[in-house]
Amino acid sequence: MVTAAAPATKAAARAGVAARPRGALKANVFLILRILAANPLTLVGFILVVLVSLTAFLIVAVPAVSLLAIGRSVSILPYPALDVGAFPIFQGPSLVHLFGTDQSGADVFSNVMAALPTDLGIGFAVAGVSLIIGSLLGLVAGFYDTPGTLSAGASVAILRVTDIFLSFPTLVLALAITAAWGRGEIQSELAVIVTWWPFYVRLTRGEVLSIKVQPYVIAARAAGVSESRILFRHVVRNLLEPLIVYFSLDVGTVIVTYSTISYVGVGVPPSIPEWGNLMFSYQDYLLSAPWTVLSVTAAIFITVLAFSLLGDGLRDILDPRSRRIMSTTAAATPAAERP
Amino acid sequence: MGETGCGKSTLGHSIPRLLPEPPAKVTSGKIVFQGTDLLKIPKWRMPGVRGTGIGMIFQEPINSLNPAYRVGDQIAESVRIRKLRERGIMPALKPDVKGFDYSKRELPKASEVVTGPFIPPNVTQTLKTRGPPMTKEIHQEVLDFLRLVRINDPERIVNLFPHELSGGMRQRIMIAMALSGKPALLIADEPTSALDVTIQAQVLTLMKELMEEVRTSIMFISHDLGVIAEMADDVGVMYAGHMVEFGPVAEIFESPRHPYTKALLRSIPNRYKDEGVLPSLSGSVPNLSKLPVGCTFNPRCPLARDVCRVKPGPPFALLPPGPAGGMHRTACFFPDEVPSMP
Amino acid sequence: MGRSRSDLVVFIAKRLAQLVPVLLGVIVITFFFTHIAVSNPCAIWSGPKASPSTIAACVKNNHFNDSLPVQFYYYLAGLVSGNWGTDPLFHSPVLSVLLTDFPATLELVLAATFLMVFIGIPLGVVAAASNGRIADHLVRIFYLSGWATPTYIAGVVLAIGLGPLLGVSGGDFSTTSSPVPAITHMSVLDAIIALNPGATVDAIVHLILPAVALAFINMGIATRMTRTSMLEILPLEFVKTARMKGLGEFWVLYKHALRNALITTTTVLGVTAGTMVSGTVVIESVFVWPGLGRYAYEAITEYDFAGTIGVVIFFAIVVVAANLIADILYGVLDPRVEWR
Repeated sequence: MVTAAAPATKAAARAGVAARPRGALKANVFLILRILAANPLTLVGFILVVLVSLTAFLIVAVPAVSLLAIGRSVSILPYPALDVGAFPIFQGPSLVHLFGTDQSGADVFSNVMAALPTDLGIGFAVAGVSLIIGSLLGLVAGFYDTPGTLSAGASVAILRVTDIFLSFPTLVLALAITAAWGRGEIQSELAVIVTWWPFYVRLTRGEVLSIKVQPYVIAARAAGVSESRILFRHVVRNLLEPLIVYFSLDVGTVIVTYSTISYVGVGVPPSIPEWGNLMFSYQDYLLSAPWTVLSVTAAIFITVLAFSLLGDGLRDILDPRSRRIMSTTAAATPAAERP
Repeated sequence: MGETGCGKSTLGHSIPRLLPEPPAKVTSGKIVFQGTDLLKIPKWRMPGVRGTGIGMIFQEPINSLNPAYRVGDQIAESVRIRKLRERGIMPALKPDVKGFDYSKRELPKASEVVTGPFIPPNVTQTLKTRGPPMTKEIHQEVLDFLRLVRINDPERIVNLFPHELSGGMRQRIMIAMALSGKPALLIADEPTSALDVTIQAQVLTLMKELMEEVRTSIMFISHDLGVIAEMADDVGVMYAGHMVEFGPVAEIFESPRHPYTKALLRSIPNRYKDEGVLPSLSGSVPNLSKLPVGCTFNPRCPLARDVCRVKPGPPFALLPPGPAGGMHRTACFFPDEVPSMP
Repeated sequence: MGRSRSDLVVFIAKRLAQLVPVLLGVIVITFFFTHIAVSNPCAIWSGPKASPSTIAACVKNNHFNDSLPVQFYYYLAGLVSGNWGTDPLFHSPVLSVLLTDFPATLELVLAATFLMVFIGIPLGVVAAASNGRIADHLVRIFYLSGWATPTYIAGVVLAIGLGPLLGVSGGDFSTTSSPVPAITHMSVLDAIIALNPGATVDAIVHLILPAVALAFINMGIATRMTRTSMLEILPLEFVKTARMKGLGEFWVLYKHALRNALITTTTVLGVTAGTMVSGTVVIESVFVWPGLGRYAYEAITEYDFAGTIGVVIFFAIVVVAANLIADILYGVLDPRVEWR
């Protein structure tokens, strides 16, 4: 029966709302494990994110470490990336070439994997910088908006500028900026950041505005807690959950957007392996050598899907409301029958 | 009746199979309504039972009306469904279903607040009885049902949205909506507990009057013993998901035959004298997923013995007829010891 | 403030007035971002073989020797008087090109929105109604895959992979050879106006793949949002009330629950306008669709400043208008909202 939710779980769910008592930690870990078990897609997302990040780390770290340790660069990739003319062109997938070879005779698997650290790094960097800039501005705009004060003026200014940036179609502005600033990894990343931070301002401000009127904030203020303590103890603490969820979804979105910029031809130079670049050079061979396009597609798909699944699941785990729903569903067992 | 969390609402919701399945599941037993076991009919046929067969009023009038539609339209929807079923256009539980006949009123009207007659004869006669119901005809009935629940200006109310009404008003509309399907059974799930005390009294008076006017069976779920004593003919007492006692209201309140009922009744404060601290039962309602073995009440029962702590628990046995007559059942091994219980 | 018609008019007027500073900001930002980076594009425009006198004339015509604020003044003055500048290669006026190209993009965006609303939203309802069961997982995988597939990949796969099956060869999805007169510049609408069933079918066939590619990523947003808000609404009492009236499950879900879930979904759909418009840049290039997106791509890569700013202004108007429409819909759907 639905009403048969274990009281302990409800208490744990409630504890998740505000400052969490230490004793609830164990219950929370237990609950998260149970939600993961009840929600296999989240588990898949979590495992995939760990695997993808680890692989990207190894692809970058192993050559660097080996260069220092044994004086020779050892790669975990089977062949060098973008190695023109290394092999006969357009060989189908085989044990030697897992994803075959492309129009220049390079190994597709090595190309695709070599692009992983680039794309993942860009995803984290752009989302991370946008998160920091956007959430700080959003916090200011949301928390310090008492009318008539100097800070309120700043808040209004932040919001107006944010509004302007939000009316740009992200990709178009990023393209215009990169085209004007010149092709290059740093320029294009900056261009995406310029279009990206406003989303965090809006998200953070919205959350701050709703947290500010919560009874526990009003109670803290009535109890004489200082504004700065309210800001960090209550507002920032409760901001973390939506920001984490949004960030984890956002890494994937950035990868998609950035690879689009490269695909269109204004992102990283073609000499650097990157999924958008690879896709552009492979697209004409979709029918004649489908493994080329499919490998890039699969790489992007798996990476972005991993972050989406994780973010989607994190929302369920971190949002007390859906957590309650899930725990009642998970705990719902038919009550013992009367003889 | 029963305390919070004992499964009253779950039982009420399971009759029209409103519980989400899964996770909810009826593992044994029957739900017999007008000779049909509702558990045996496929889920897609359940709507045919609801509305015209079984109506329901919920606890929270704030959430029980759709915020997006005008109240008049929401009642009209219910009326339209009934009319379509009466004319055989829409499927019902039984093909020949007729709305429960409210016109056979044996008792005089209990209230003088009613401003208009309930289903005026001239309207009923001039309307066509076959084919899809007309908007005008439905509108007329909506106004009638609003008048039935003592709303004096139904023409204005039908055009309002739920958020423009007070809690008591919304609950009246809920009642009108449930009655407008003319159900044979009306389940009222704590219809007054979310309301202010004064509004509660008004709604209860209204329901009591309606009970006599519309003569439909009402299953009234409440934790308020006073309300139950006033409203009910027969009372079922629930504890930890089980019905522990059932009988005529007089017998349940005068001579309860289950230790839980007895304990519950003792906790009613006496209006006229100060008795000091009210007696309360030690312990708390068990977790429904970890019920005690045997009788569910045994950990808190002063009469409990070894036989109560082993499987199976006490049967829901029929007692010999008491002074008030009627059927009296209790799920206790020692019903005769209850009257002398400490 | 209330909900009468005059309140709505005041509301729309206010929002349109707020649009002016936003658009001004958009123009300023785009202008300075493009002009600071490349101070003198005349050399690029005129090509490597151009004589110094041609370049000098170009610089003079475009005021590139003046300071940026002065250049901005000239640009703004032109903008207000309807002279949005000219394209450096063919010297065609930007505004007229934008106006002729816009309907094709609008058609694409409307078709994608149609798919998003009539496929994406019902999928969200299905997922929520079967929460935790197979159908829910399948829908979740579907919308997450939409999210995980960059628009250009969906475009390439559909254009090159499925295009030939629909009889569209060479990846050219524009219906420029269409026999019907271009009245609205929307291929489907033009064909319908011309009462030419063959051309209508042909136009729809050409439209369907670009629209699907464009809708794919946004469909996920619509589905996910609908699913989330439906999950919040389904446990509410009024859903039970609707069931207890004897309504069938279809009506309970779509008339009672979805009606309320749409309130949240609508606001999100307004936000997707930005993604959608960005998507047209890629989709129109891949499918050779003669719209603003392709024009934007060309303008950006050819350092066509006037064209770039013009198209960005146009897109910004589309995004802001979509948000305004979403706000109005929100108010229409939720009777508790007052226009202010």
